[in-house]
Amino acid sequence: MLVQVLMQLAVVVTLMVIVSIGLFVGRYRLRETRTEWRGRIRAAAPITVVLAVVLLFNSVARQIVPDLSWMIGWNLTWAIYDIEGQFILWLQDQATPWLTAYFSFIYIYGYVFLLVFPVVAYFALSNTRPLRELLAAYTLNYTLGLVLYIFVIAYGPRNMMPELVEALLYDTYPQYQHLTRQVNRNTNVFPSLHTSLAATVTFLAYRTRDVYPKWNVVAILLGVSVAISTMYLGIHWAIDVVAGIVLAYVSVELAHLLVGRWSLSDWVDGRVPTIGGLRNRDP
Amino acid sequence: MSERGAASVDTEGERRRGGRSPAISRRAALAGAAGLTMATSGCLSQFRSIVNRDDIDQLSLTITTLPADGDRESIRLAREIAAVLETAGVDTAIEMRSNEEFLRAILINHDFDIYVGQHPGGIDPDFLYESLHSLYADESGWQNPFGFTNLLVDDLLETQREADGEERRDAVETLLEALAVEQPFVPVCTPTEHRLVRADRFEGWADGHLATRGGYLGLEPLTEESSEQLRTVHMDARPSQNLNPLTAEYRDRGTITGLLYDSLATETVTADGDSSLEPWLAEDVEWVDESTLVVELQPDCTFHDGESLTASDVAFSYRFLADTALGGDSSPAPSPRFRGRVAAIDEVEASDEHTLEFAVDAGQAVGEQALTVPILPEHIWRDRADEASVRGVRVAQGTTEAVVTNNFPPVGSGPFQYADHTDREHVTFERFDDHFTLREDVDRPEPTVDELRVQIDPRSTSAIQLLEDDAADVTSSALETYVVDDIDVSEDVELVESPSWTFYHLGFNARKAPFSNPRFRQVVARLLDKAWLVEEVFDGHARPIATPVTEEWVPDGLEWDGEDPEMPFLGSNGDLDVEAARAAFEDAGFRYDSDGTLRVRH
Repeated sequence: MLVQVLMQLAVVVTLMVIVSIGLFVGRYRLRETRTEWRGRIRAAAPITVVLAVVLLFNSVARQIVPDLSWMIGWNLTWAIYDIEGQFILWLQDQATPWLTAYFSFIYIYGYVFLLVFPVVAYFALSNTRPLRELLAAYTLNYTLGLVLYIFVIAYGPRNMMPELVEALLYDTYPQYQHLTRQVNRNTNVFPSLHTSLAATVTFLAYRTRDVYPKWNVVAILLGVSVAISTMYLGIHWAIDVVAGIVLAYVSVELAHLLVGRWSLSDWVDGRVPTIGGLRNRDP
Repeated sequence: MSERGAASVDTEGERRRGGRSPAISRRAALAGAAGLTMATSGCLSQFRSIVNRDDIDQLSLTITTLPADGDRESIRLAREIAAVLETAGVDTAIEMRSNEEFLRAILINHDFDIYVGQHPGGIDPDFLYESLHSLYADESGWQNPFGFTNLLVDDLLETQREADGEERRDAVETLLEALAVEQPFVPVCTPTEHRLVRADRFEGWADGHLATRGGYLGLEPLTEESSEQLRTVHMDARPSQNLNPLTAEYRDRGTITGLLYDSLATETVTADGDSSLEPWLAEDVEWVDESTLVVELQPDCTFHDGESLTASDVAFSYRFLADTALGGDSSPAPSPRFRGRVAAIDEVEASDEHTLEFAVDAGQAVGEQALTVPILPEHIWRDRADEASVRGVRVAQGTTEAVVTNNFPPVGSGPFQYADHTDREHVTFERFDDHFTLREDVDRPEPTVDELRVQIDPRSTSAIQLLEDDAADVTSSALETYVVDDIDVSEDVELVESPSWTFYHLGFNARKAPFSNPRFRQVVARLLDKAWLVEEVFDGHARPIATPVTEEWVPDGLEWDGEDPEMPFLGSNGDLDVEAARAAFEDAGFRYDSDGTLRVRH
């Protein structure tokens, strides 16, 4: 069942990416990419490795995070529910079959597309800085998110109010349970990582609006849809979404500050003479 | 001048108070300073009488329960109960904990005010002995998690334990009537268990209750393929994380560990709920006198690792369950499960390799119940009597290796043996070919499939889909009640409906005020409209109850007759009559503030 869901996801997202390349990237940039791809890969390689390591570490760490969290024991569910329980109910009241279908699609397919496409789009630019900032911001999202997950135990609305907040996604499309269960634990809802990653893409799309003006508009629409979908489907509280946006903002700003600060090639180049210099200074 | 005066008054206050908490001493200091002016007029003592009385606050409590992923009905009950408590002027919060964290808080650490959840209950009412006897109030496990202590109830619990036949029936009736008044916990309802099965792959689903080991034995495979594997979907991940029959946090009724570990006798329950206690690993059970039980084991049994199972393993198991430290600790460390059953046995002696003599300290009915505990291999569990240790951490007294080990791979003597597991995905067992039920001359339900795979799938809806897609044969957990009405049964997929001996309840921590006060508990019981909750939360797939035992043991006076015969609801149709609730609390000796909040000393 999981394999089937994954295949479907891969096919749909690939199609969406191909169409979007045609729409937003354009033939001219693709042609340029064909000649410059080696240099761009070299530039983005260090941060890609960091991201891969963080993702690997994340998948291992998530096995033990629930245990650590219960030992620390900051259970915030009731506090959150007390503050804003009514909002999610109001949002769910607006449910129609069409909206449910739309937001379920957005939550799974729209979200994965939103994360994958900018990697391709920024790779097609001669300037590799947006690409490196994007990957750095993803890395920061996962790292800071994991730290928050360790400290905070919070169950989402569907766990608190199962009869009011229908677990729309899992009851309407039970097969997705298999997919999201691989990624998420039910106590990790604060902050919403779905929202924070989507917002990260949206913030960066805004920064690169001069290069990709049309993508900027689509990214904003998709980003907002993803944020709403997490609440509409009863998976996150509004507070999780706000925290997700804050996390995205922090990650994007930090990525902007950090990227380009250290250059691996400079570091290697500068290292050799330094060692030589030290040796010379030896008595 | 004034400063010196205040200081001297404070010292005097300090002396009188002995060693009270700093908060009070600060307040006393302030009072002392303010009272200085009055001191001259000689009314300091009256001033102190006024000021040094602790005010009582609004009662504020937390309901501990499970999230919807763990038990949808529990969180819904908890929220309804929180709502009526709020209406009655109690400040209420809810804390959700995952399955094992919930049980750890309730059973091991007793860290709760009140909780809402499912109790494993018992087919025989003797489970109440371990649940409520005051001797167990300090132990960890299903033995008295409520900290309930009442000497009269202790007496009644012991009386029913020693009696048999009609006499026992009367004793149980008296006990249940006393509990209905005391309300150590509020029994809410007994659910009806629904499971989906594939009728085109196996026959005989109705022969054994699917919450017992009998449900998975003796099934008749209908195709070549189905005899290779029995595929169950389980909605609780815990069996893939721990297979220790003694760990209370990871077991509900122990159905899966029941397939790995044999017991001397087994409760045979049909899907319709008819039950009888029958010999299992024991070939023969005989009472030689009033309190001596002689058990003859099935000959030549072995454990899954090939070691032979002898009478000394059986004797060891009973000693070990009574004290998992085997005398190695300063005080006994009893198992957090099976406590009451093992306590009925005074002594076990192996008279030869296959014969045991039990000295029973209870009536025959309860004595035979003691034969249903798991038989453990001595060569593996003896070493687990040591205290569990984690470097640099102080471990609670009585925490032996035995009660905390995950027990992978489990080695028992049961009809299935462990093969493989992946955390939160599956646990797989193989048929144990040397099991005694597979012998020609033994006519007991046997494992009929080569492999038993327990697939973990946390939601009823996706579990149902697996059944419908022919990717599973049975949902081994009971389905959540909200999906039951929407299930499409076909020729191939059938719905099995069976009664339960578990029950949903509201448990009080009687170690804390005001839950220690039976009058308080009575009023809380009357705030719950059980019949309405059954319709609202369980979609009618449950039975409201006034007493926590199976139907055949319910006395006439506690039969549900449209309302709770002993603790009728203070209102109607789920709507609490606020005035009546307040009056009831006031009659019970509690007070309300002018703003409608319940003030309780706690």
